[in-house]
Amino acid sequence: MTDMTAVVETEGLTKFYGKRRGLEDLTLAIQPGEVFGYLGPNGAGKTTTIRLLLDVIRPTSGRMSVLGADPRDPKVRARIGYLPGELELEGKEKARDYLTFLADVRGGVSRGRIDELAERLEADLSVAMGKLSKGNKQKVGLIQAFMHDPELLILDEPTSGLDPLVQQEFLAMVREVRTTGRTVLMSSHVLAEVEHVSDRVGIVRAGRLVAVEDVAALRERAVRKVEFHFDAPVPREAFEGLPGLRDLVVEGASVRCTIDGRPDPLIKAAAKFTTVHMVSAEPDLEEIFLTYYSDEERHHAHAHA
Amino acid sequence: MPTLTLKTLKEYRRAIIGWTVGMCAFLGMYISIYASMKDSPDILSRSALAKYPGALRDLMGGMLDIGTGVGYLQAIAYQMLGPLLLVMCAAILGNRAIAAPEQSGTLELTLTLPIDRKQLVLQRWVGLFLGLLTIAVITLLVILAAQSGAGMGVPVGHVLAAHTGLFLVALFFGTVALAVGAAVGRRQTALTVVGVWAVAGYVVETLGRNADWISWARWLSPFHYFLDGRPLYAGWPVGDYLVLAGATAVLLLTAVLAFDRRDVGV
Repeated sequence: MTDMTAVVETEGLTKFYGKRRGLEDLTLAIQPGEVFGYLGPNGAGKTTTIRLLLDVIRPTSGRMSVLGADPRDPKVRARIGYLPGELELEGKEKARDYLTFLADVRGGVSRGRIDELAERLEADLSVAMGKLSKGNKQKVGLIQAFMHDPELLILDEPTSGLDPLVQQEFLAMVREVRTTGRTVLMSSHVLAEVEHVSDRVGIVRAGRLVAVEDVAALRERAVRKVEFHFDAPVPREAFEGLPGLRDLVVEGASVRCTIDGRPDPLIKAAAKFTTVHMVSAEPDLEEIFLTYYSDEERHHAHAHA
Repeated sequence: MPTLTLKTLKEYRRAIIGWTVGMCAFLGMYISIYASMKDSPDILSRSALAKYPGALRDLMGGMLDIGTGVGYLQAIAYQMLGPLLLVMCAAILGNRAIAAPEQSGTLELTLTLPIDRKQLVLQRWVGLFLGLLTIAVITLLVILAAQSGAGMGVPVGHVLAAHTGLFLVALFFGTVALAVGAAVGRRQTALTVVGVWAVAGYVVETLGRNADWISWARWLSPFHYFLDGRPLYAGWPVGDYLVLAGATAVLLLTAVLAFDRRDVGV
């Protein structure tokens, strides 16, 4: 890799815990202004990658750079906002005092900034940290990750424990970060949580990066389930053989089908009739990823056969 | 003061207050008992000797002079219970520097702050140092006030010398707990090392005085460099204290280097 502008860059990054594989041969570059979704089931190596990038653990082999520096350099860590996957907050200290401590060590944040974020996420900072609920701990974690406007945000399972409204607010915060040209690496075990804000997603499985995909391209290729209800029965022939159309079911006045890629031919065919009601499910990117997974698994099973 | 040291002291605050109050109550109570008994030193002496036969008496430092002010103060503050209490406190605080937050998971976020790992250990240790110093200074003042009130007649300089030794022993064991935590990150391991070393060290130093077969091991006991010079009777055993301080410095250096090399929280 010669691209020196990448915010996160790894080459052959490998981590073994004794004999147990944590991560093997990760080569990845995340560009400035990009939101990168890092996906995989629990135990796949997401947290290992993230902890390597933050110098919590040390690689067995390979190299990496974060914001153009070695993660061992403490100065670079002031420019990163980090949310641990399992954020532990304990004791009688008030959440606000803890946030102030973190802000001080990172070089200071205006008091207004913490309040503003607390308001957005509806977090109560006057509570002792040991008494915070899981969701509120996660909010405190998000506030500390965002409060110093870091150039790079590394968020490990950021949406876990958040209720849907707060999740939406969080996603809005991520979009704002991208708008200002800053970079986000966020992990999740569910694609649906990250697909709306991610530019690219990488899938890690059993310690290996098995795919990196552009989300827009993925959506273009995605499969949609579509349903039309008309005011009168329609002939099957009107829809049969349309490009990209599969699983066609015509029952009286209703038509159900699956469509790959652009829905345009289907829309034009339906326009000949009077549509009463229409349902188009969100493209299921998860399904596409599951094929990657199962391919990898098959490959794996084969190798061990 | 470095931010992390300040934070460490805040975390220690409750423990520091608790241990200070507890130790002051314990010391104050025992010293005031002396005031009521000092007019009949023979009774005090005889009852003490009857209560602690043979080897137990050796553990308590002999107690032959418990009827005197200096002997009494030595027995209650600087012989067994005083060091035991302060060493326990030091081990707990030392454990809370690295091992405990590592195992509970709170250390991870601290580690990702723009603080060098070496600095992290050092600043935590300074917190431990200041915490123990606070307890030591307040208990010293209480002992000085109580012993003068009870008319023990021990020179202030000697109390200061003995108390400094007590502080150095506690700081040593607190640093052991911190260093084991920095090296392996396991609270239980750190407590076990401190517990075994402290108990064995104390036994070897006190019983070993009269038993040749273990006396060779006395140099391994941190208590040797505190008790052997009898600071409450003879004043500053400067060389011994330098050994304690030097050993603590070596442990701290080990802690810094060990923590700088390893994976945290795995």
